[in-house]
Formats: sequence, C-alpha cells, structure tokens
Amino acid sequence: MLPYILRRLATGLLMLVALSILVFVLLRLAPGDPIDAYVNPNVAMSQAEMAALRARLGFDQPLPVQYLAWLRAAATGDLGFSIQRNGVRVLPLVLERIGPTVLLMAAGLAIAIVLGIAAGILSAVRRNSPTDIGFSVVAFFGISSPAFLTAILGLYLFSVVLRWAPSGGMLTPGAPFSISDLLAHLVLPACLLSIGHAALIMRYMRASLLEVLNQDYVRTARAKGVKEFWVIMKHAVRNALLPVVTLIGSTIGIAVGGAIFIESVFNWPGMGLLLINAVDTRDYPVIMGATLIIGACVIVVNLLTDMAYAAVDPRIQVA
Amino acid sequence: MQLKTLTRAISVAALLGATALTTSAAAQEPKTITGGFDVGPGGFQGNFNPLAATGGFTWLNVYFEPLVNYNADLTAIEGALANEYAVNADKTEYTFKLANETWHDGKPFTSKDVKFTVDLAKNGETGTVFAARLNAVSSVEMPDERTAVIKLSRPDAGLLATLTKLMILPEHALSGMTPKELATGTWWATKPIGTGPFKFKQYVSDQYVELVADDDYRLGRPKADRVINRYFKNTAAAVAALRAGEIQFTYVESDDVAAFKDNKGFKVIEGQSFVANYLGFNQQVPLWKDVRVRQAVMHAIDRQAIIDSLYGGAATEANCGYVAKQLVPEGLNPYKYDPAKAKALLTEAGWDKINGSKPITWLTYYNTPQAANVMAAVQAMLAQVGINVVPRVVDTPTYNGIIYAGNPDFSQFPLVYAGLQNGPDPSGLNIGLNAVQKPPAGANFLRIDMPDLTKAFDAALAETNPQQLNARYQDVCKAMNANLPWATMWVANRYGVASAKLKDFVWVPAPAGGPYNAHPEKWSIEK
Repeated sequence: MLPYILRRLATGLLMLVALSILVFVLLRLAPGDPIDAYVNPNVAMSQAEMAALRARLGFDQPLPVQYLAWLRAAATGDLGFSIQRNGVRVLPLVLERIGPTVLLMAAGLAIAIVLGIAAGILSAVRRNSPTDIGFSVVAFFGISSPAFLTAILGLYLFSVVLRWAPSGGMLTPGAPFSISDLLAHLVLPACLLSIGHAALIMRYMRASLLEVLNQDYVRTARAKGVKEFWVIMKHAVRNALLPVVTLIGSTIGIAVGGAIFIESVFNWPGMGLLLINAVDTRDYPVIMGATLIIGACVIVVNLLTDMAYAAVDPRIQVA
Repeated sequence: MQLKTLTRAISVAALLGATALTTSAAAQEPKTITGGFDVGPGGFQGNFNPLAATGGFTWLNVYFEPLVNYNADLTAIEGALANEYAVNADKTEYTFKLANETWHDGKPFTSKDVKFTVDLAKNGETGTVFAARLNAVSSVEMPDERTAVIKLSRPDAGLLATLTKLMILPEHALSGMTPKELATGTWWATKPIGTGPFKFKQYVSDQYVELVADDDYRLGRPKADRVINRYFKNTAAAVAALRAGEIQFTYVESDDVAAFKDNKGFKVIEGQSFVANYLGFNQQVPLWKDVRVRQAVMHAIDRQAIIDSLYGGAATEANCGYVAKQLVPEGLNPYKYDPAKAKALLTEAGWDKINGSKPITWLTYYNTPQAANVMAAVQAMLAQVGINVVPRVVDTPTYNGIIYAGNPDFSQFPLVYAGLQNGPDPSGLNIGLNAVQKPPAGANFLRIDMPDLTKAFDAALAETNPQQLNARYQDVCKAMNANLPWATMWVANRYGVASAKLKDFVWVPAPAGGPYNAHPEKWSIEK
C-alpha cells in the first residue's frame, strides 16, 4: 500500500505544477489585472499611475520571471500576499478558509448521504410505488436545479420571508462565538448544498440496489428465512453501496463547485467566497494559492476514496 | 391548597426574575448599528488602507478623518480635523488650524501627522493613489503643533477636494515602517488607529468590520456603542439581510426602491450620483470624426423617455457633463429627440460610406438589469436611424484592461457606455476629456482632442478666483455641448435604505462613497 500511496503522491505533485502553470497562463490571458480591478471607472486614474502600481507589484516583469519567482517562493511554502487585502499572506488566508468550506461541505454531504441513501433504499424496495415516483420526481428537480438558483430561492424563502435562518455569514457580527449561533448559520446553506447531491445519491442508490436485489445471494438469504429488513440492510445495501461510495468521492469536486455558489450567496467565509472575490478582483496570488490547495485536496481525497473503496470491498487491491 | 399557593409563588418569582434579567440584559446590550456600508458603487470592501482607496470613503471616514471634508449636501468643503483653513492670495499656500484631538491610542494629534501623511501620499512606494493628485504640493511646514501649512508649486483648484479623501494617519504608529512595508502591511486591517468617532475593534475576514465608540471623541461620545460594517457579495444579498432585519442600512439598486417606499419600517434615501453617464465616441476609429454623426446619436436617443420609463424619473437629462444649475449655461443645444433629424444628419455626413449598417461594438462595465434595459432601449433607438450597435457587457477589470491596454485595440471599444464623476468637484471630468490627459498621462482613453474643450478645461483648472470658477466650468459645458466628445445621457439618482429605527443617520450616495461629514457620533438606534 505504501509504495502505491507514494507513487500517487509523486504523480499528484507533478499535476500540481502543471495546474499552477495552467492557471498562471490562463490568468495572464484573461483581460484585466489586479490594477484594472482596483480602478473605479467612475473615478478615473491615469495610465501612468496604474503603470507605477503595476511596477510596484512586479507585473512589469516578463511572464516566465513572474512564474518562476512564484514557484520558487511556493516551494518554500510562501504563496505571496493578497493584492486586494492589504498584504494579508495567502497561505494563512487560504488555510483559514478551508475549515468553513470543509464544515459546509461535510454538513451538506452528510445531509445528502443520509437523505439520498435512505430515499434510494425506499425507492428501490418500493419500486414503482407512489413513494418511488414521488422521490424520483423530487430527485429530478434536485438534479436539474442549479446551485445558484436553489441558493437564492432558499435565501429568499427561509431568511427573508419565513425568517427561519440568518441571511448569511457564519456567525452573528460582533456576537461572541457559540456553537448554536454557528449551527443556526450553517443549517440553511448546508441543506441547500445537499439538494443536488442527495438527488444524485438517491438515483444511484436506487439503481444499484435494484440490481443487487435480483442477485442469487439475496434470493438465497430470503430462502434461508432471513427477515426482509436484514436481507436488505445486511446483504443488499452493503453491496449496493460500492458505486455510491465511488460517486460520493468523485463528486467532491462538484461539491466544491456547488459550495462556491452557496458561499457566495450566503457570504460563507470559505474557499468558494475567497476564490470568487479573488477572481472578481484579479487577485493573482490568492487565485494561484487557492487553486493549488484545492488541487492538492482533490488529489488527496481521490486517493482516500480509492483506499476507502478497497476497505469496503476487500477483493480490490490498490497496490 | 398549600401546593397551589407554593406553585403560584414560584411562578410569580420566576416571572419577576426573568423580567429583571431581561431588563438588565437589554439595558446592558450595546447599541449597535449594523449596515452594508461598503455595498454598491461607492464601496470598497476589504480595503483598509486609505492611501490606496479608490472608494469606500463613507466607511473609512467613520474611524479616520481628513483635514477638510465635504458637508453632507456635498455643496461646500468645511473643516474636519482642521477647525479652519486659509488660502493666500495666489492660491499657493494653505494654512490649516488643527483641532485639539487625540488618536485612538490616546496620543495627541499634531501637525507632524499632517506632514507625515502628505509625504506618504506623495510617495509612490506606499502604493498611494494620491501621488499624481498631490504633485503640486512642494512642502508641508509645521509652524507649531496646531498649525500645518501646505505649500504648492503652482495653484491647484482641486487641492481641497483631494484633501477630503486623504485620511490623516498617525506618525507615531507608522513612522517605524518603510513605505514598502506600509503598502503590504497588515496594520491597516488589524490595529489601525484614527481620530474618528469610532475605534477599530476587529475585522473578521470577508464577514464584517467592527468599530466601538471612542469615549474621548472631541465632538462628544458617540450615541451608538458599536458600528458594524457587514460584507456582502452583492447588493441583492444586502437587501435580503435588510429585509430580514439583520442590518439597518444598505445601498440599494433603484429597482429595489419600490419594495421599501411605502414600508413604514424603512426610510429611502435618495441623492444624486454625481456620475455623468455617456456614450463615449472613440476618436481613434473613423466612425465618429464628423460632428454631425455625433449629433445624430444625440437626436436619435429619447433620453427623457428612458429616464421616465427605466429610471422612474429619477435622473436628470444632461446636455453636457454637468447638470448642476450653477455649471450649466443658458442657450445649450438641447438635442431634442428627433429621429428624422438624426437620419438627415447621418445622410449629410455620408454615414452609408462611413459605416452603414455594419455592427459597432458597444462596450460597457455596467451589468445591472437596469443597465441592460437602458442599453436595449438605446440600441433599438439607434437602429431606427441606421446605427447598428451591439452591446458587449464585461466586468470592470476586463473593461479597464481593454481601454487602458498599453497598445489598445481600438476596434474593441469604438463606442462605450460609461460614467465619470462630475462632482462635487467639477474638475473630475478633466482627466477623461482634456487632450493632455490622453494615456499614459491621464484617463482620456477615447483620445478626445478637441481644442475648444481642452482650452476651457485648462482655464477652469487655472482659475483661482472662486467667484469665476462656475463661469469657467460653464465654458467647459458649452464646449462639450457644441463638440460632443460624448453623447451625454443623464445623471441618475442613487439610493440607500435605512431602518426607521436609525436616528440622525446621514448617508449620501456620493461617488466613491464621499467622504462627507456624516457625523457618525450622532447616529443612534432605537431599541
């Protein structure tokens, strides 16, 4: 197992360098730079002043020089400082945002896994019943609703109209930290984030379980007089979970995408909000740093998924 | 019976206790005003460095202060950290008598701080955006602790307006840092000290900034205990928080105003944007060389109909870069809506040969639904007379990246829809219209080179007699009206909405957020 992990990590490192080059080039190809973002078009600034600001940040250097300088610093753990945030260093800035994003994604995924698997099992067991059809219709809506739409509608309904949850942020401004305050702010964005995933998991779970329920060993278990509940939970569900586990692992990347929208609508101080703000303001160092760390997380999560896959099904050998 | 009595007694005691606790808690709860102070075009979320500020002055001015400031009507400049000021006859020496104030850490504010701040603002290494605007300043002298004299190498009519944006910084706290360290330092967002009515307490990244009352403020202890500036990704999110009762103030888009107008729980604040909106003709493309084509554009657009239908009447038609009465002379060409005249002018100018019906890219950074409707209406009106414009909406960095490129591709912006600050200091238009302001010297990215207009601006900028200043800007207005460097559209109103619980709250939709004397020490909130 260890050589396999080391091999995967080495490949991951190369992928990260490739990713950083790609992002660096794409950023420079995109129109506008951090200074262009700085200037309010209604309150103009001269091109000479803008050039002076660019020179101070080193943007007047050739691109390879700029990239190599960044890479050299990044190799020592220095991801530079944010241009738009009064010199805040990128690494601590990005690291402090991982917690809120992980919290939001974990809460959203936990809700999605519980709801999706439960609904998938019920749908499969009661195939073609009104329950199955009802869950399927809801799932189709869930899958086809983009995150930004569900986020905005959810915000309007539950925060503005019903006032069941705060309209944004992670904690009440100025209030001392409390778990209840954090949970109050977390519940709505997490539930909205879970919608698409729950629907997807439900569809996969249903399809997978239906396939397993027709297997011989399930028939044998029933013939041996095992109670139906245990036939499903012990024999069928465990085997049906394999593709669902894969799905959950491979949708982490998609969850990051969903979290970006949710964080932006709810002003949740995670990686998504950080990245969107950084892209809006062309904050190159933050975009580079955040992309690098997200890339590293995805590589590690994929590795962990493969390892979890092996743990769930002992027939699979990762090494 | 005894049990019943006991139960009643316990209930009454519990009720009284709870009431006492609640009352006590309410009495101790600090009076907090929470708002989206950096929402909208005047805001600048995440910037704490006043030297680098291109907006967000409304908020910065709650804990920092400039020497002088606009009044809340934006009609005059008055004292702030300077109690009074005097200007010598040839307008090259400004003497400021400083207020008796202490910094938030208790150290006295003196003329040393003024000199230190002006010197920093002139030093490009600090990342300052003031260097060019202060290049007429030759020195700052300190005759005594309460007097600062700013000396100029030449008269600069815009100096006081520039000084309203220059927040005075503490020499004792910052002199130990190099200019470069200041530019990238975290002091601004972690432990800044100013002289304003509120003191910095904390910044929670991308969430909010919290200030607390400065008990020693020279104009009296603020009525509110805390002011919190909550951050929002967009105006819609701030409006949702306002409607949910989580904040008491935010800037709103004009489309949102109807939802608050008849609601007694809110007050709608309306004010002029001081931004002239225009269609800018790029002089580097052959389309707009003939003034008759530019006149045709003006006659083709029914500006009043757009103002009435899309702005709800909340905009003022502009026939030059200004709409302020004192700056607009009699006898301007009103360019009435007249499509037939527009067609005739285009025919006279030979529009068929110049461009005909070929599409013309119309670049803008305005990306609100209202702007989309305005552009659709203008596009249709221009199409009626045979001018085929195709809107291209991009974000601000992309827009600036295109128009300010080192070697610009002029075909990407033959026509723009934009705005430029025209007040309260009318010289704001100079940077975009004066021929000497062509890049790289200035921001005249349309490469407008109209001698009459340049001459009029130069005369206005050199005018040292305040009584003559309006007449000089009227000349600028006349030159704009005759030469049409832009097809001037309107100056629209902007809006904020405040909770009715707020008392003595002052907010003005000033460009870049002001600043102006909002007197935050007087703001209070009903429980």
